[in-house]
Amino acid sequence: MPGPRIACIHLPLFPLAARLRSEPELIREAVVVTEGNGNAARVVAGTRLAREAGVKPGHTLPQARALCPKLVARPRDEECERAGQEALMEVAEAFSPRVEDAGEGVTYVDLEGLERHFRSPSPELEMGRSLIAAADKAGLPVRVGIASSKLAARVAAGLPDSPVVVPEGEEAAFLAPLPLAKLSPEVDIASTLEQWGVRSIGDFARLPKARVASRLGRTGRELHATARGIDPRPLIPREPPPVFHEGMNLEWPLVSLEPFLFVGRAALERLCERLESAGLACQRLGLELRLEPDGHQTRAVDLPAPTRDVKTLLTLLRLDLEEKPPGAPVAGFTLLAWPDRPREAQLALYGPAALSPDKLATTLARLFALLGPDRVGSPRPVDGHRPERFSLVEYTPPPPPEVRREPRAGRGLLAVRVLRPPLGLEVISESEKPVEIRTVVHDESEKRPRVEGRVKVASGPWGLEEGWWTEEPAGRDYWDVELAGGGIYRIYRDCATGEWFADGIYD
Amino acid sequence: MAVNLQRRTLEDSPLEEPGLQSPALLRLRSALPQGFQRHIRSARELDRDLREAQETEATFRTAVPALDRLLEGGLPRGQLVELVGSRTSGRFSTVLAALAAATSVGEVAALVDLGDGLDPAAAEALGADLRRLLWLRPHNLKQALAAAEMVLASGFPLVALDLGTPPVRGGRGVEAAWLRLARAARAHNAALLVSTPYRVSGTAAGVVLKAERARAAWQGESLPLLSGASSHLQLEKQRGRLPGQTEELKLTLGEVPVPSSVPRVKKREEPVEWVEDWEPLRAAGGIRY
Repeated sequence: MPGPRIACIHLPLFPLAARLRSEPELIREAVVVTEGNGNAARVVAGTRLAREAGVKPGHTLPQARALCPKLVARPRDEECERAGQEALMEVAEAFSPRVEDAGEGVTYVDLEGLERHFRSPSPELEMGRSLIAAADKAGLPVRVGIASSKLAARVAAGLPDSPVVVPEGEEAAFLAPLPLAKLSPEVDIASTLEQWGVRSIGDFARLPKARVASRLGRTGRELHATARGIDPRPLIPREPPPVFHEGMNLEWPLVSLEPFLFVGRAALERLCERLESAGLACQRLGLELRLEPDGHQTRAVDLPAPTRDVKTLLTLLRLDLEEKPPGAPVAGFTLLAWPDRPREAQLALYGPAALSPDKLATTLARLFALLGPDRVGSPRPVDGHRPERFSLVEYTPPPPPEVRREPRAGRGLLAVRVLRPPLGLEVISESEKPVEIRTVVHDESEKRPRVEGRVKVASGPWGLEEGWWTEEPAGRDYWDVELAGGGIYRIYRDCATGEWFADGIYD
Repeated sequence: MAVNLQRRTLEDSPLEEPGLQSPALLRLRSALPQGFQRHIRSARELDRDLREAQETEATFRTAVPALDRLLEGGLPRGQLVELVGSRTSGRFSTVLAALAAATSVGEVAALVDLGDGLDPAAAEALGADLRRLLWLRPHNLKQALAAAEMVLASGFPLVALDLGTPPVRGGRGVEAAWLRLARAARAHNAALLVSTPYRVSGTAAGVVLKAERARAAWQGESLPLLSGASSHLQLEKQRGRLPGQTEELKLTLGEVPVPSSVPRVKKREEPVEWVEDWEPLRAAGGIRY
């Protein structure tokens, strides 16, 4: 029975690669990523230009700057690295559901059953190339190694000329000529082995197992087993995260909105690309702000429908930040996307044209931002007779019929334009019948319709009694009135207060 | 644009002249029985059928006979139609009827309701499928224009923008905004109906209709009942047509009990005495519970 086949995806110079993913404009510069503060900061990784100038890991920043005056230095950024690692995992998950997160730019993928998707003489090589291409598309220059054990795959992924495939059962032979440092032994074991004159993995593997164990202990025994190509560690698949993260720590705190949105847009674009690659969209967008000098703020925007339109999401963020400013300089941020399946619809060939669900979701989100959530939706009547009442529900139109029909001839019904809120009226009445009406104006600047005139015909009263068992009962006597100057109105007298109101115009 | 080819049957659509048909197509058709020959179409014939179908769908029927007659079929797609009328001119009824006609046959439609005057129960009584109706309630004209442009761009085939009654919040708006709106309607081949108390869209409007103030129709002398209203729609502007054509717009309250949502129950003048048996009263229609 064949053993498992594992691919290791390795992102070399991970802190640097993660940083350059967030700031791709720096790729062609001499850039180093440092760890530590001030002049004590030490170089962790550098780009080719920096390396060619002589900058090496471990150099202090002043040493590095002396070697390369135009050096661009960036501190290690946990947010960038977390987002980079997540992006790497998502690339792997596009190929297989069994993916292990080994951290620091390393991911293991279970290749079992994938070979049938790659119909070539060497399907594993083809798989490796596909993994590299997919990662490259996500802005991650990775190396891939494929073997039967995690260790051999990891060592293979560290070699140039990627992808490197180690045939099954040949792990020990593959590892033998490689230097011992590839196994990353502990410092004391490494020095002992050096004193013994052991230089390559093969030299180490040839030593007797029992004697290695008696001299180097448990750690040495395990290292010896790995040198012989034996790696019993199974692949531990991860649970997919419920939320997508993307963010970064800023080089200096931002105090105005525009620069923040400029940086936020790039992060949103990366977030939406990741959502798209997973076939998901954003149902809820969160923003965590790290404030200067300390403190943080969390906010979230709910979307009417899942979307991954960057412009819309950015507009919503802008409106939210304008409405509730953070109140302190922003030193870093994390965007969180709660994913959901985007809406899908089957378009009919002969029926009415349906709206694109993705476009509709985007439009609804923008309308929410423009008008507010209580002013966009599908109207529904409310149980009762008070005409000013209504409810709004989420707009999710059903699919169109398969065949287009012609509308039936209309019945020519007269509709009422509801006045919300009702207009207060002064009414002169004779025998309880209105004969003249006039709008009560409390504020001259208020832009409300005005109703004024002698009543030509009045029809009523029509009683409305509703909700007498509630705290807001309605008792109204309705009249339909036509004014001498024109216009048909629906007015009522509140039975509780005796006040008059107009709540509709027949139009 | 979705094209309804089913409405035209293949039998209605003529074939090309035999001289224009390719020899292979002629041979294929001659090998088939008479009834099946028309089921084989060349690409050129299909292209012609599609174009003809598109031409017949250049209008959006509103199911308001007066409006459909005046506009020779319905609201023209890709144009801004401005309907001007004062209070009680039948303007709002026309807008709701157009929305009801569209949604009742499965189209989606949007109402940008600056006047905030929609009664969902009344719209439902008019036949609107509220599930397909997107209701937007902007605060001012600027928001209303932006919202209308957004829904047009998202592909809504019918958008109605009702500015309510004067004073309109936001005045007349900027002419450039109306031109943008008309261009959005043209770009997405949508019917855009703007209902307004006075002319607002200037040169952006492809069609301008004016609704006169309606006269109320009352039934009965001693206890008059509002039974409807009648108005006139006049064509004031349409490219390629002479203005001045008029159609009568008749609107009734009909049998629908709730255009106004108010039950048509005559208020009792005298206090109701307690009765053991409520059935007679319920049967008389006076009690709803």
